[in-house]
Amino acid sequence: MKGLIFSVKRYSIHDGPGIRVTFFMKGCPLNCMWCHNPEGISPFPENVIISDKVGEREFSNSKEVGKYYSVENILEILEKERVFINQSKGGVTFSGGEPMLQFEFLFEALKACKENGYHTAVDTSGYSSFENYKSIIPVTDLFLFDIKHLDEARHIELTGVSNIGILDNYRILLNSGKDIMVRVPVIPGFNDDPDHLKKLKQFLLSTKTESLKKINLLPFHKIGSSKYKRFNIPYKMDNVEPPAKGRMQELKEFFSEVGVKVKIGG
Amino acid sequence: MKISARVKQLRELSLNAVEKISAERALLMTQFYKSDEARELSAPLKRAKAFEYLLKNKKICINEGELIVGERGPAPKETPTYPEISLHSMIDLEILNSREKVFFRVDEEVKNIYEKEIIPFWKGKSNRDRIMNLMTHEWMNAYKAGLFTEFQEQRAPGHTVLGYKMFTTGFLKLKEEIKESVSALDFYIDTQAFEKFEELKAMDIACDTIIMYANRHADELEKLAANEKNSKRKNELLKMAAVCRKVPANAPETVHEMLQHYWFIHQGVITELNPWDSFNPGRLDQHLYPVYKKEMEAGSLSTDELYDLLGCFWVKFNNHPSPPKIGVTASESNTYTDFCLINLGGVKPDGTDAVNEISYILLDVIKEMRILQPGSMIQISKKSPDRFIHKALDIIRTGFGQPSCFNTDAIIQEMVRQGKSIVDARNGGASGCVETGAFGTEAYWLTGYFNLPKVLELTLNNGFDKRTNKLLGLETGYAHEYKSFEDLMKAFKLQVNYFIDIKIRGNNVIEKTFANWLPVPFLSLLVEDCIASGKDYNGGGARYNTSYIQGVGLGSITDMLTSIRYNIYDNKKFGWEELTKALDADFNGYEQVQYEMIYNTPKFGNDDDYADQQAVAVFEIYYDAVNGRPTSRGGIHRINMLPTTSHVYFGSVIGATPDGRKAHKPLSEGISPSQGVDKQGPTSVIKSASKIDHLRTGGTLLNQKFSPQFFEDEDSYDCLTALIRSYFSLDGHHIQFNVVNAETLKDAQKHPELYRDLIVRVAGYSDYFNDLGEDLQNEIINRTEHEEVL
Ligand code: SF4
Repeated sequence: MKGLIFSVKRYSIHDGPGIRVTFFMKGCPLNCMWCHNPEGISPFPENVIISDKVGEREFSNSKEVGKYYSVENILEILEKERVFINQSKGGVTFSGGEPMLQFEFLFEALKACKENGYHTAVDTSGYSSFENYKSIIPVTDLFLFDIKHLDEARHIELTGVSNIGILDNYRILLNSGKDIMVRVPVIPGFNDDPDHLKKLKQFLLSTKTESLKKINLLPFHKIGSSKYKRFNIPYKMDNVEPPAKGRMQELKEFFSEVGVKVKIGG
Repeated sequence: MKISARVKQLRELSLNAVEKISAERALLMTQFYKSDEARELSAPLKRAKAFEYLLKNKKICINEGELIVGERGPAPKETPTYPEISLHSMIDLEILNSREKVFFRVDEEVKNIYEKEIIPFWKGKSNRDRIMNLMTHEWMNAYKAGLFTEFQEQRAPGHTVLGYKMFTTGFLKLKEEIKESVSALDFYIDTQAFEKFEELKAMDIACDTIIMYANRHADELEKLAANEKNSKRKNELLKMAAVCRKVPANAPETVHEMLQHYWFIHQGVITELNPWDSFNPGRLDQHLYPVYKKEMEAGSLSTDELYDLLGCFWVKFNNHPSPPKIGVTASESNTYTDFCLINLGGVKPDGTDAVNEISYILLDVIKEMRILQPGSMIQISKKSPDRFIHKALDIIRTGFGQPSCFNTDAIIQEMVRQGKSIVDARNGGASGCVETGAFGTEAYWLTGYFNLPKVLELTLNNGFDKRTNKLLGLETGYAHEYKSFEDLMKAFKLQVNYFIDIKIRGNNVIEKTFANWLPVPFLSLLVEDCIASGKDYNGGGARYNTSYIQGVGLGSITDMLTSIRYNIYDNKKFGWEELTKALDADFNGYEQVQYEMIYNTPKFGNDDDYADQQAVAVFEIYYDAVNGRPTSRGGIHRINMLPTTSHVYFGSVIGATPDGRKAHKPLSEGISPSQGVDKQGPTSVIKSASKIDHLRTGGTLLNQKFSPQFFEDEDSYDCLTALIRSYFSLDGHHIQFNVVNAETLKDAQKHPELYRDLIVRVAGYSDYFNDLGEDLQNEIINRTEHEEVL
């Protein structure tokens, strides 16, 4: 069994504790307007043209985005990084895209990682079946769980899918005994109006269990915009500006009332 | 900590002082050498008397407001010359005066003195002339072709650090030791007894000289005090005079005395000759701690006074630029920095953690002073607290390049492997750039950089050098004649051995010139066991004697060999004929070949064994060629891997290379990957770099580029700490974080091909800088500019 992965990141330090290897799995059922990994949305390998300059001449090469990895491949890469992972009490994170979309591979990979003593994290949009989550709970130490909007209609507008199942899954994971870090993208004009923020804080507070360890506020940024061009996907966020530093600080204070650690960024 | 007005003023004075050539020392030295007395003396006595003449007659400089006194020249940054080592010509002086960077102003008076007094006397008589006359034809050709450099050609052997003993011993005590050593001489059976007798006499004169020099300062301070209106300063001046009467004659007992004690010693060493890396107080936090503690308990020193003294001490180093060089070495190491490297942390002689309050205080001083000199480093052992590393990261993140991080456990293993006692090893550290040494007991000399990629270039050309148009190496064949990669490696090994032989023969002659003509009785007092053995530091008197040849261009040569292996032998992407043509054409018209080499060939620095095995192979060949070969002063040759800035000079003498590098471009630095080829991030660089066996070297240098955003929060400090500790658990010797500034990012925008490895972070995400759109790049540049802490 193999998994389709579009990027492997070493010295990944913002996707869970310590130094980690993050595997970005290709394919996502959502279609968030601000997605910074547009190449992670399609569940198939894609080709992009990469041009490199040598002096004045430019050479183009077609590069495949998305390669198939076996569980052994995953373990080999982790073995290369083992010293850093051990030293920093880090581990492995499966992100995406939406890793749950390749559930069977994800399960096998997580299981193998656990068996080899690695701390495992899954970075998920929450959009998958309840059964799937239930089966990976025993082999997952940490869930990085995105909450983008509480209002269903607005959620559909922004991401293309309903949030009912997502929020249900969130509640279930809160009672799984495993660690959860909630990740809230802060997208000016989309989900940062006072009313929504208040509701969101309320929601996090009322559902809170021992499992909730941290809230990560992820400020919107445009790093992905050049990728849109490369992949020929229209970019809809040109007119949105990243939130100011001061604003993020304010939000940090605001969410700290939930009673867990709040961090700006991953 | 806040720097006081006094220290601020001294710091300004130092920063604003203009580097100038002073003819004072050259003139005094010439007068002495011309004297009747000089003619009659044995070499050690001649040098001791010269030292005495210098310190008796040089101008005493006391700067306003300072607490620690003594300048090598007549004023801050007025830099002496050493004609007995190498003689500046009128043209050299002109170049120094007018060159844009690292200049030294030369005024008419100095030019006059040089023309009338210095040059006529020393022409053809400097040790550099002596060396050049003694070198073989092969040595001269290889030297001119840029296969290696020669450290001792313009400066005296140095690379020595003051050890524990001299921080707790006065020179009056040394005089007693000398007396004992003299009375133990056995003129009946020791054939060297007379030489030792002369040397010990010379050392005794050197003791008296440094005490006399301190007293001259005391005299001057008392004179100033008598005329001082301000009663506070008056008291200070009197106190300083008392300190100068006490040290270095006697052992220091307070922080003030210890700093002044060291500073007299420092001046003595850099006035006697111009040893490499000036001189170095080494484990300063360890030496200061006991006196600091005592004073704190007695209440005789306030925190403000402590910081004032340290600030004054720091400025002293910055007042002393590296002595000006000429010719080849100007491009090889072009900097005012004289590589004094203060060590913090590490372990105590009993092996326990040595980080103490002074370690943290000195980190504060480094942060607040923010001056080029002295350099600083932290020694990190398994036992060092994270807090210590975090505090250092706080300074590193400001992009000031200090302190660098060293692996104490590796340093100790390196030294124990070389046969040093565990206590001597624990008392040691690193000096210069990254050189391992036993402080106070070892004379570890760097003898020259060795151009590994140049040897490969010659190996591909049957030993012929196209640039100097000479047959330099062995005729092992042309590129196309090597039937396999192994054949090529065999030939490369023969060539490395051949050139190392040439270099070592040169070293063994050059060492003797210093032993015979230029002994250093003062420096010999400072390094154990010179007094006990009656032998000079330059003649093998130290407890341990090591000569290093520094390998340069490991990343580059690995990429070159890997490219040959990958493209020619394993995958047959192109043949030797095409490659040779491409190299001869500097890739003009062969961009496709160059493209394949740069973008589609495995490279060192990505934790890819296919490439990294060539690094290991080159390392082993180099190690075998050098390690263990005897030196003429009874020491041993060993290797280390560091370039200072010689990778630029060495690149300039090499044509286009099979890694896709254009002719004359710089080589890779230290054991770092070639510019921009590491695409997998810092962990992979560390993995690649740790595949060579650091423990069999005397130091390696790894430079890692980071954007300031990597230091953004507590979590990232933890991860960087883990990164360092991981490298050190793999026996890495040293890592330095080069925090890029906005300037670098702007350059990356212009030359993306050189910065393919540059990762920047924005708000918790990161990406390759090159991959960002221009507007985003600009945004990051703006932010970096904004965040740069000055
Ligand atoms: S869930 Fe994540 S990967 Fe999927 S579209 Fe949204 S932002 Fe992109």
